[in-house]
Amino acid sequence: MRIEVDWTRCDGHGLCGLLLPENLANDTDGFPVVRDPEVAPGNVHHARRAVSACPALALRLSRP
Amino acid sequence: MSTTPLTRSAPTAFGSARLLAGVTHGTRADLSTHRRLHGPQRHRTLEELAADAARVQLLGRGGAAFPVATKLAAVPPGRRTQVVVNGSESEPASRKDRTLMTLTPHLVLDGALAVARALRTSHVTIAVHDQAAASSLHAALQERALAEPSPELVRVERRPARFVAGEIRAVLRGLDGGPAVPPSRRTLPSEAGLHGAPTFASNVETFAQIALLVSLGPAEYAAVGSPEEPGTTLLTLLGDTRAQGVVEVPTDLPLDALVPGTSGPVLLGGYHGRWVEDVVGLSVTRPALRAGGLALNAGVVARLPREACALAEVTAVTRWLAAQSAGQCGPCLFGTAALARDVDDLLHGRTAPEVDARLAGLVRRGACAHPDGTVAFVTSALDVLTDELATHRRHGTCGRPYAGVLPLGERSVR
Repeated sequence: MRIEVDWTRCDGHGLCGLLLPENLANDTDGFPVVRDPEVAPGNVHHARRAVSACPALALRLSRP
Repeated sequence: MSTTPLTRSAPTAFGSARLLAGVTHGTRADLSTHRRLHGPQRHRTLEELAADAARVQLLGRGGAAFPVATKLAAVPPGRRTQVVVNGSESEPASRKDRTLMTLTPHLVLDGALAVARALRTSHVTIAVHDQAAASSLHAALQERALAEPSPELVRVERRPARFVAGEIRAVLRGLDGGPAVPPSRRTLPSEAGLHGAPTFASNVETFAQIALLVSLGPAEYAAVGSPEEPGTTLLTLLGDTRAQGVVEVPTDLPLDALVPGTSGPVLLGGYHGRWVEDVVGLSVTRPALRAGGLALNAGVVARLPREACALAEVTAVTRWLAAQSAGQCGPCLFGTAALARDVDDLLHGRTAPEVDARLAGLVRRGACAHPDGTVAFVTSALDVLTDELATHRRHGTCGRPYAGVLPLGERSVR
């Protein structure tokens, strides 16, 4: 699975970087930095949690 | 060499004038002149047109250089299908598309109608922001309504001049009544474009090239230019170059024929393009440039005159690029603004310790190509202007004035 940021929606709340540090980090403004878009099978549930926690609905998990 | 401002002078052809046949004196070709130069409007089936475009390896002339044959094959023909001519030309340094629409509007229309007929649709929309170009197209449509009525319905729509508003998906959104900003989803116009219908959208010059291809046939079309990308291409030359303004050149022309010598860095591909030390060994062929990590984009080639402060030009364009962010993506909105401040610091001899991190923070972090294009422009400028940067660092200035060679909008162009 791939994690994708919809940059037009993202407001830099910064939750995703905390919930999915394996793939995402936060920059100094709170916007995510995609370190690796490929979510390892063991982390998919963390990724889903990050997607549902995003207040701006800016995070997507998609099949490649 | 003196600083020559970009004026509305007549375009120049190096070698054969094809797109610019009969208009290199700056006089508009009316319908009868156009027909004398290019012959009658001809049509091809979709299969023939796609085969001809494939044979001459015709690439889109907007920026992405996408193969026209592939795009034609991807659009399902039919009455709902839309043809969109992108004439926004939202980069202030480029004038080729408005030159075509203003001086040879019937060539653009021939191409658009040939595509519409091949796709078996009557819906053609031309998106344009330049007043002179729009007037010329309207006049051309009136000439045709009387002399050679056709079943196609051609609409000319005025669009805003903003840089990212010229991106095709932003154009389509704007034409549909939405905000003229790129959408977040990577939608394909060929599947869901204007009014949600399958859409063949391309740049003005692409349609003019299609008209030439249909009127000349692929063999004659490919008689000039590089085997990799036959034919001619339009460029806009700025600053210390062999000619200024719009030129038509065969695609195998060595770039140093246009920008001779090695007197300073050259900007290839405009404000989303790259600076190079010199152009020795390069030609204007898009596939060859791409192989070298370069892009012609919309065809802007500039070299700054020696008496102008290069860093001031780069700073002005970087500030303009920051102001052109649509503001929908945070990393682009904040990142380009911070980058512009950093470049301004370097101009005034101050340090900008964060500049590399700022550039890295813009890469692939937006809904459109604006942040990445801005990174290409600034990174390559800082790479080739090392001596300039050192001088500014030492003295706070290089002593040369800002000349405004790289235009930033209508006011500096006229």
